[in-house]
Amino acid sequence: MKSFFRMSYPYILWIALFIVAPMVMILLYAVTRSGNGTITFSFTMENFARFLSDPTFLKVLWTSLRIAFLTTVFCILIGYPAALFIAGLPEKRQTLMILLLTLPMWINMLLKTYAWRGILMNFEDLSSEIRVFIGMVYDFLPYMIIQIHTAIAKLDPNLKTAAYDLGANPWKTFLKVTLPLSVPGIISGITLVFLPAVSSFVIPKLLGGGNYVLIGNLIETYFLVAGDWNFGSAISLIMALIIILSMYLTKKLDTTAKEE
Amino acid sequence: MRKLIEFRNIVKSFDGQVVLKGVSLNIYENEFVTLLGPSGCGKTTLLRILGGFLEQDEGTVIFDGQCIDKVPAYKREINTVFQRYALFPHLNVYENIAFGLRIKKMGEDLIAQKVNRMLSLVNLEGYGKRNVTLLSGGQQQRVAIARALVNEPNVLLLDEPLGALDLKLRKEMQRELKRIQQEVGITFIYVTHDQEEALTMSDKIVVMNAGEIEQIGTPLEIYNEPVNAYVARFIGESNIVEGTMKADCRVRFDDKVFECVDTGFKPDEPVDVLIRPEDLTVVRPKDGVMRGEVKNVVFKGVHYELMVETKTGTSKTVKMHVVTSHDIHNPQAGEKISANDFYVDSDDLENKEMTDQDFISIANAQAWDEENRDLSLTKVTHDIQKTPGVYSITFGTDRGTEVTVKVYVVHPEYVEDPRHNIGISALDFFITPEEIQESMAISTDLKTWASAEAWNLQDDSSVEITDVKFDFDPAAVTEGSYDITFATQGREYKVETTDRLEVGDRVGLSFEPEDIHVMHKEVGDV
Repeated sequence: MKSFFRMSYPYILWIALFIVAPMVMILLYAVTRSGNGTITFSFTMENFARFLSDPTFLKVLWTSLRIAFLTTVFCILIGYPAALFIAGLPEKRQTLMILLLTLPMWINMLLKTYAWRGILMNFEDLSSEIRVFIGMVYDFLPYMIIQIHTAIAKLDPNLKTAAYDLGANPWKTFLKVTLPLSVPGIISGITLVFLPAVSSFVIPKLLGGGNYVLIGNLIETYFLVAGDWNFGSAISLIMALIIILSMYLTKKLDTTAKEE
Repeated sequence: MRKLIEFRNIVKSFDGQVVLKGVSLNIYENEFVTLLGPSGCGKTTLLRILGGFLEQDEGTVIFDGQCIDKVPAYKREINTVFQRYALFPHLNVYENIAFGLRIKKMGEDLIAQKVNRMLSLVNLEGYGKRNVTLLSGGQQQRVAIARALVNEPNVLLLDEPLGALDLKLRKEMQRELKRIQQEVGITFIYVTHDQEEALTMSDKIVVMNAGEIEQIGTPLEIYNEPVNAYVARFIGESNIVEGTMKADCRVRFDDKVFECVDTGFKPDEPVDVLIRPEDLTVVRPKDGVMRGEVKNVVFKGVHYELMVETKTGTSKTVKMHVVTSHDIHNPQAGEKISANDFYVDSDDLENKEMTDQDFISIANAQAWDEENRDLSLTKVTHDIQKTPGVYSITFGTDRGTEVTVKVYVVHPEYVEDPRHNIGISALDFFITPEEIQESMAISTDLKTWASAEAWNLQDDSSVEITDVKFDFDPAAVTEGSYDITFATQGREYKVETTDRLEVGDRVGLSFEPEDIHVMHKEVGDV
């Protein structure tokens, strides 16, 4: 047991160096003022206050949450029927379909987003938000489909037979058996779509045409353009809190769904 | 009783494989019907066609006077208990049972009332809130039964529902199922491959084989008057002997004519005769209608199961010459070599085209170096002729180490037994004490060393040699000649008795005319 534990030392070191230390630094930056030349820190909460008191920033936060939410909902709406359809195919076709779905994921996201920029250039009257929304749904949809498909494919086919046997027609069988039993797949799909969507900055930057700012872009700007690491860190922390909260909520949704 | 279900000439095949070959069957109200047969006989397919989960290729299913071929599963007034229960894992016990009622949009009060009644019917009061995935196999089974019965179907289908349970629980559930069926008073159609389950619970048993019905009858009829050897073998323990029907109530088997109670056969018709092991009585040899020797005794708890051989098989005795082999040492090459004298049959020389390798293996020729590594024998020279006589053969290695042994070419010696239609042959052989001591399975090795073979005289098919008799101790055998007897299976009867008997006892067997049952030969049975 002891020697086993010793084998984890490199990982602990790795985690400390590349995960814990940067997080501590972000925390430190978030609660200090800029211009700390030496090791003297002047603690402050004004970075948070600045974000929360400025309606512009709050609007960006709201926009980010809204577009991430819409992207997730659309991914479920498109992804669920697709997953259901794939799960109904013969085994070999299923593998092929999943392969086709994962194929675009092998291509760099930047490249795909540039491609979308080209396509969307032909539609001038689309608003920035719609453009970003299309890009996000396109990018994150495969994650949703694969998660739901996995959940449906592992369902015991006898359960459907049993439901028919008990008088449920195919639609009722779907509502009362297949759908509730695939909720765990939807939940993990949500986690895989909502979280990257809410913090995405490449897609809004390339497709939003410069005037569409999400919270990810805000962080990017403050770190790389304005050089205000303290304020950037504070926004990152607020983001992190929101993400943790949403993960907690989806998990709770999952357990209540199971209990029902 | 009113006819409830009628299968008319049902044919079904999967991927060109015919699973049901035109099955017709009537099932009446309130019957406990069991479809019995080995896996792959089509019993589950028939059940699934009735449930509406499969569509037959040909034929019609009539339910309550109406053709239901085009009625989907969810509209049939039939419910099923599935092999692996198929309980809904996201619903608790109560909701699983209420599933069908909720589909019918029944009021909450009525649902509660019905579900609770079902819970007490299957002895699961107070289990409503439990998670079904955490229940034991037996409890899941009960939930599955309750979930089906709560819909008050006219027919309950049960697809090997007890297969996953242990023996004790299975027995308990058998009684339970019978009680439930009598209490709710509906038709149960039960699929199983377990003959005991079928006998205990059913009002009617349908014995199936390879997509066809062999026999339909009450458990007693099926057990006491099976229509053919297949059914007899499938239900209960049985001795099945070939015989001929001499006249009504006169059947000949084991070279004797016995009195029986069966009639309606053609004179001299070949038949199968069934004698159940419990119907044979062990008596003193002079009082028995058959006499034999106890070959095997197995303690079964309530009784002993004996195998009594009434007729010995065909046998052949050969001599085994145990000789100490003298390894030949070649000091220049640092090698040793050994081989045994051997017998070979002139017919084999004629027909088989014996190779050097064959001779090496018959003579058990071996060579090895000082580190005990096996060497290959590259030189084999002999003067063997096809005419009987004594010849010599020399085996040698690359480095000139050689051994010469005698080869006895002999006329083939067969024992042919026209009464049993069996021929048997074996040859004398030479062997070293070491080889006997090293043998892991002496009977099998003796057969190999003596080239013992038995065959059917009519079609030349091979017959198993079941008995190898010898009277030496393999662990402490010394030089000399020993008799080895090879024999085929004789006529053996399985007997159930409470008497304590030893292997080798001479006993008589007796039975009453009504204890034997004469059956027509199976169609296509050779």
